[in-house]
Amino acid sequence: MKSAPAGFELTVAVWLLLAACPLTVSEWRISQLSQITSYGIFAMSLAFLWGQTGLLCFGHAIFFGVGAYAMALITKGLLPGVGDSTVTGLLAATLLPGLVALIAGTLVFRGRSLSGAYFAIVTLAAAAIAERAASHWSLIGGFNGLLDVPPLRYGVGANRVELLAPVPVYYVVLGAAGAMYGLLLWLERSPLGTALRAVRDNEQRTSYFGFDVSVYKTLSLALSGGVAGFAGGLFVTQFGFVSPALIGVPLSTEVLIWTALGGREVLLAAFLGALAVRSVESVLSEALGYYWLLALGVLFVASVVIFPRGLLGRLLALSLPRRMAAPADPGP
Amino acid sequence: MAQALLVALDASNFMLALLLVTLGLVILFGLMNVINMAHGEMFLLGAYAVVLVQRYGGSFWLALALAPLALGVIGLVIEEVVIRHVYHRFIDTILATWGLSISLKQAVIIAFGPTAQQVHNPLPQTVEILGTLYPVYRLFIMAVAVLAAAGTFLLFYQTSLGLVARAVIANRPMAGSLGLNTRRMDRMTFAFGAALAGLAGAVMAPLMSVDPQMGVGFLIPAFLSILVGGTGTLLGTLLGTTLIAGAGTVVSSIWSQITAQIVVFALAIVVIRLFPQGLTGGSQER
Repeated sequence: MKSAPAGFELTVAVWLLLAACPLTVSEWRISQLSQITSYGIFAMSLAFLWGQTGLLCFGHAIFFGVGAYAMALITKGLLPGVGDSTVTGLLAATLLPGLVALIAGTLVFRGRSLSGAYFAIVTLAAAAIAERAASHWSLIGGFNGLLDVPPLRYGVGANRVELLAPVPVYYVVLGAAGAMYGLLLWLERSPLGTALRAVRDNEQRTSYFGFDVSVYKTLSLALSGGVAGFAGGLFVTQFGFVSPALIGVPLSTEVLIWTALGGREVLLAAFLGALAVRSVESVLSEALGYYWLLALGVLFVASVVIFPRGLLGRLLALSLPRRMAAPADPGP
Repeated sequence: MAQALLVALDASNFMLALLLVTLGLVILFGLMNVINMAHGEMFLLGAYAVVLVQRYGGSFWLALALAPLALGVIGLVIEEVVIRHVYHRFIDTILATWGLSISLKQAVIIAFGPTAQQVHNPLPQTVEILGTLYPVYRLFIMAVAVLAAAGTFLLFYQTSLGLVARAVIANRPMAGSLGLNTRRMDRMTFAFGAALAGLAGAVMAPLMSVDPQMGVGFLIPAFLSILVGGTGTLLGTLLGTTLIAGAGTVVSSIWSQITAQIVVFALAIVVIRLFPQGLTGGSQER
């Protein structure tokens, strides 16, 4: 990956700008921005899976949705024996989709693994299954979903406080986004990340070098699924209700568009892709009506054909980790 | 007995309808290596072509002839503007056609509104088959599907044009060196696939609720049929559509439509997992 000269400076600037948003933006917009930021975390999880490991997933909302449902069930106290705290909810919202992804990955990638295109179609079908199953499972609310999901809470017992003011919520969500960004970036720049990119660029060669390709793909899917689920859990605390729409094909499509438009290979570009598309949508979709989705579709096609690395990818790309940028490795 | 016959008729009707929809898709997938996510919307446009022709007083049969032509032209334009640029980037064809599918569906919503349109059934009669009454139009669909499949097979495996098309697919540089116009073959194959989608949409229109979502409902079963059967041969497609449609009809006659979809999709995923090359073991390595 060639880095833009100012990738690092721009990355820092973006985070500072996001942190400064509450100074200038109205409270209503801030609460919207918090929701969109959860979508941004979701987009980063897809960028990790797709941009780094080369797995194009058409059903990523499955993980987001499982996280959202897990969070809703726990914080509404519908699951006996596990309590109803925000922390437990978020933990379950991360671990459960991660586990689902781990099992799915093991099933799909072990042995003679599915090729990229087949993986895309299978995940699309899986998303359709998940959506239909969720709308007919009465335990999780069926077609109507679960209403009145509590907001973020802290403290215990009688001292428990609900976090409702938009600005503190925004900082919690932004902090979570920063933490997830840091985690995924660290993974991406670790030797594990290098192996994932090797799988992406040439699976056969990587396996000839002695790497168990299926393990890396499964691991990447599990990590990405966990982060997507965390984003889903965070999202429902602000959105207040969860429905089959959060688990199915339409949201999976949307996150693909955000990630592709922003830039699949750069986490922050995907994150900003989600923020930009959703922000513009909230402003323009009223005025443009049906034409908004048409414009988005055309823009998506154009970006795939003309800018495969997304509109922001080149701009925000960071330089390679130092261990790889070393001039000439003496080598054995 | 009559019940079993009805299930069997419904199953073969669904299977042949699915085959008709899948044909255009498998040509692009198996022969051009293009995963056309916009296939469902091309199908949709075929159905709306009927709506449009009938709105201006044309007969259904005129519409049935015009729809494939219109979709062929649209296919040519799409190939020239979008697909031609992403042939060498396999995964990106999925994304580009997915974007096209969103745009085409939205264009239909803008032009015709989001609500369902009515298409007159040109053959409303029923006919008695072994004591069971069955709609004539369903039999017509089955006939069209068989003819379209046979015609496609003959075109690609029995004519010199089909030979050229398969030569370009097998070895592009070699075919080019031998003086074959590879660009022209790409264009024509893509347009042919699109025209088949248009034909399927037009034929199915009288029996379906013609609304902007009708394409998506067929896209996933069609893709699963191809993957289950194997991409290499038309025989694989036949097998795949038979299994998917047969299983779907049987399960939905026992439980509900929705259970059928879930069960069939899940079973298809298992089969694809166990036989990554499809049941007929496609010849292509990917």
